[in-house]
Amino acid sequence: MKRRRQELLLTLPSLAWLVVFFAIPAVLILAIAFRPGDLRGGVGEGWTLETVKALGNPIYLPVMWRTFWLSAATTLSCLALALPMCWHMARVTPRWRHFLLLLIVLPFLTNFLIRVFAWKSLLHPEGLVKQALVWLHLASEDTLLLNNAGAVLLVLIYTQLPFAILPLYAAAEKFDFTLLDAARDLGATGWQAFRKVFVPGIRQGIVAAAVIVLVSSLGQYVIPQIVGGTGDEMIGNKIAQRAFSDRNLPLASALSGALLLIVLIPTLRIAWRSRKEGRD
Amino acid sequence: MKFLIPLLLFTVSAFGAETLHVYTWADYVSPDVITKFERANDCKVVIDTFDSNETMYAKLKAGATGYDLIFPTSYMIQLMEQEGLLLDLDSARLSNLKFIDPDILTKVHDRTMKRSVPYTLGYAVIAYRKDKVKDPQPTWAMFDRADLSQRITLFDDMRETIGAALKFLGHSINTRDDAQLAAAKEVLLRWKKNAAKFDNEGYKAGLDSGEFRLVHGYSGDLFQVTQQNDKVGILIPREGVTASCDEMVIPKSSPQPALAHALINFLLDPKVAAENMEWMGYLCPNTEALKLVGKDFLENPAVTIPAEIKAKSEVIQDLGPDIAKYTKVWDAVKSE
Amino acid sequence: MKRSSIPLLITLAVVVFLHAPLVVLIVNSFNASRFGGTWEGFTWTWYEKLWQAGDVWDSVVVTLKVAIGATLASMLLGTLAALALHRFRSRLQSVHHTLVMMPLALPDILMGMSLLALFVALGVQTGMLTIWIAHTTFCTSYVAMVVLGRLQDFDFTLLDAARDLGANRSQAARKVLIPLLAPGILAGGLLAFTLSIDDYVITFFVSGPGTTTLPLRVASMMKTSRNLPVINALSTLMISLTFIAAALSFRLQRRSS
Repeated sequence: MKRRRQELLLTLPSLAWLVVFFAIPAVLILAIAFRPGDLRGGVGEGWTLETVKALGNPIYLPVMWRTFWLSAATTLSCLALALPMCWHMARVTPRWRHFLLLLIVLPFLTNFLIRVFAWKSLLHPEGLVKQALVWLHLASEDTLLLNNAGAVLLVLIYTQLPFAILPLYAAAEKFDFTLLDAARDLGATGWQAFRKVFVPGIRQGIVAAAVIVLVSSLGQYVIPQIVGGTGDEMIGNKIAQRAFSDRNLPLASALSGALLLIVLIPTLRIAWRSRKEGRD
Repeated sequence: MKFLIPLLLFTVSAFGAETLHVYTWADYVSPDVITKFERANDCKVVIDTFDSNETMYAKLKAGATGYDLIFPTSYMIQLMEQEGLLLDLDSARLSNLKFIDPDILTKVHDRTMKRSVPYTLGYAVIAYRKDKVKDPQPTWAMFDRADLSQRITLFDDMRETIGAALKFLGHSINTRDDAQLAAAKEVLLRWKKNAAKFDNEGYKAGLDSGEFRLVHGYSGDLFQVTQQNDKVGILIPREGVTASCDEMVIPKSSPQPALAHALINFLLDPKVAAENMEWMGYLCPNTEALKLVGKDFLENPAVTIPAEIKAKSEVIQDLGPDIAKYTKVWDAVKSE
Repeated sequence: MKRSSIPLLITLAVVVFLHAPLVVLIVNSFNASRFGGTWEGFTWTWYEKLWQAGDVWDSVVVTLKVAIGATLASMLLGTLAALALHRFRSRLQSVHHTLVMMPLALPDILMGMSLLALFVALGVQTGMLTIWIAHTTFCTSYVAMVVLGRLQDFDFTLLDAARDLGANRSQAARKVLIPLLAPGILAGGLLAFTLSIDDYVITFFVSGPGTTTLPLRVASMMKTSRNLPVINALSTLMISLTFIAAALSFRLQRRSS
């Protein structure tokens, strides 16, 4: 019994905190989704399915589709960039490795909004990047680098890259690189070794990185708001609009609940998988 | 560590004095005016800003009870009153109420100033870059200009933007007619193709920097931009504009009602109001203060709009349950 | 065997990509132009204005207060959670594990909304307390994750050795476990601190009167055209401070190894 008591003592503080400030609020959100909204901006009395039915409104489809493809594109791009980076970092000397890690993390330590805003400056119609592209004949005077889906994707990739690199790097560090030498001895080219030995070897890291980036992108709304145009709203923008502009808390909750369920599926799978593998 | 000492002194001094919490729009009161008030009353004024009435209201309903003075737009006040959020004002402490222009009282919800006092009168208008826009015309039809495509912004505000389309079509901005709203929706979908984004605050910086060439903006904010950048001009659409009156209210939960009254009265003082007006660019409906401001301030079209356009202008009103019609139009415009 | 130089090139390109906006910020903090689209001459104006901007420094104070509070609380809760998760394998721990890991995956907007709903339901006034609670909640998960990673590499036979040498359980914990875990706990704390000072979305939902943190202040300043480059000046200062701190810790690490 002493062991059980020890377990409870260690577990209770964080468990209690998270139940009160995480689990219960999540349930509350789902609950509010089943109440009617009232015009005064609060939550109405009684229970109803109307709010949830309102999710069936066709206007949400383009937004959900856009959210999904932007998040997927961000995830794939981040993985495509992070994999070769981690390959390189894991093979250089520890001094270089730490230096590179520092370089990657440093921008991360600056205020998020400011970094996004700096992109507005970089992509400005009269800014350096645009002028350089025009000079290189890659763009015309009228091309707009800002306020469109491309800008949103670029800034999404920019902000999510560190989240992809770090878990991949952690996995790459533990990878046994002698396996690659063995593959080469057996006649594989560098690229084949990369694809058939390295990538499967750090599979857990890749999955973790993919889930983190995907989930994080799905809920974004600040980036589309700042660098996006009129047709680039994501589901996060809709939730914010419902919660604040439209004074419709139940509908905001219903949307949040839908997003929560979408996000939960890959997350729980990862959590259970890693717990299982940790146990073995 | 040079800044630590003044920082410490700053925070320590704040402990001794009383603090007044103000919740208002960005750039909406002159910092010099605030400093004068702080000195005269030995207090500290902390200003939090919101960028939409709805956000402010949501925050209040969610339990933000520490505010002493709030600056909502007139149509919001009806709602806040019904919710019992507002304190009855003590007119004995507001000797400067007499300077309020009686004409503005006909436009606002609370005509006797029982719970709200008018602060500014502003209009939603258009501004443009003189060096980038050829042949500017004072009409809402400017949003249809294909040569300005992707360099235009519209308000990210349901009532303001639908209102502009309604005015363009010659209807009232408070209409409940479904056919008129459907026509407005079509107009907005057309304008949306030309618009770079829907924006409520960033348009000022965007116009100033040349990112945008034509913006939908508030008269006072645009006035501020013209002060700093002479390449910016203002157009008052001849079909009429939306007028809004922002007012000062004290929430029932205010911890410092006496000090809040003092600030209201201070802002109504003609000299203070004149100085504040010229900094903000918005008109304060204060008869004495208007006599003290510079002539070129008064003649700026953003401040005093031509009488015939004023006659066609309307104030946004709360529409009760019919607001759902507008929400439907707005949702459709935003997602298609 | 020829090593492809593609990974190196990609790495370099990504590093440049990650740092490009920072360079823009730093350059623009000295740029006389208000927008940074074009260079209009060198100036110290924005730094002067930063010095005078009382509301910006107020928000720095608020941000630091919340961050320090949340970091300490989450270091405690996160470490305890990691210890429990590592040592025990029961049904309770499975639930515990899920609860601890989920905030990592939840989009900020959902976390913000749900906490706001909780505070509304409980009638708690939004302010410093609610921001602190919100930050501690998401930081705990990060600390737990970092410490758990450290624990997985931890050699528990060291504790057995200490006990063989006569230490009791609490002494073994204090003198062996904690010191060896300390780098992990500190790393988690540093991560928590960074996340807290940068948080915008969640703070936006749960902040109240007079609790404008730096990110909230930056957001509202971004929308007005007057003093925008002041933010560039502030960012440059922060970047420089971070760089100096990182360089120092690098030096210290080199010395100790």
